[in-house]
Amino acid sequence: MIELYAITDHPGPPLPPVADTTLATAGAGSLAAVWAPVADAPAAVTIDGLRRHEAIVEALMADRNLLPVRYGTRVPDDGAAARLLIERRDELARALERVRGTVEVAVRVAAAPDASADPARALAAVHHPLAERARAATCRVRAGGDLLRGAYLVERGDVEAFAAGVAELQDDLADLRLLCTGPWPPYSFTD
Amino acid sequence: MSADLATRDVALVDLLDRLLGGGVVIAGEITLAVADVDLVHVSLRALVASVASAAPQDVEGTAREPEP
Repeated sequence: MIELYAITDHPGPPLPPVADTTLATAGAGSLAAVWAPVADAPAAVTIDGLRRHEAIVEALMADRNLLPVRYGTRVPDDGAAARLLIERRDELARALERVRGTVEVAVRVAAAPDASADPARALAAVHHPLAERARAATCRVRAGGDLLRGAYLVERGDVEAFAAGVAELQDDLADLRLLCTGPWPPYSFTD
Repeated sequence: MSADLATRDVALVDLLDRLLGGGVVIAGEITLAVADVDLVHVSLRALVASVASAAPQDVEGTAREPEP
């Protein structure tokens, strides 16, 4: 079995060295899937496994545009990966074009201690202003104890300015707590 | 909890969101070993609690440097 990490342009720059495995590509037309061999067992959901996967995708992200592949995606071999690329060529090429030159920034919004705030407040005060600064935006409300979890597709060169904008928003919002992380591969913008 | 560890754990919630719920679904079926799922759930609950009590100065600009 092989595990897939990302869909990228083909051909692309040389693959980065990563710990404990060797990356390879399966190319088909203008697209390539980056993969590594794995044991014939399901992908384990462990913190270490998730971090290792993320480290590989981020190493790839450093010098190429990519669509991250859902964690745990495994196919029999590189031929099967190439066939998937061919079958869904148009859809994947369009999706890769949408994220070209960008990264994802995450912003979570929780109510401040002893403050009452609802998702509508988080949408109006945080998500909508941030979405205006981003190429694309998406969010979930009432997620995992947060009022809102937003994801913003931001030009690579604009990440610092975007994060500064989040900090400025926080300065004006006593009833909300914002947590900003990134830059992430564009996990939330692969459709 | 050290500041570094707190920052890592804050990012872990976003990491779980993205790896388990995001990314392009290219193959028809994804199989994950569930033996360790309890670990993930326990960690998430603990982290949610820490997020709710986060102080204003815990707001992160960005956890990692942007790409050059």
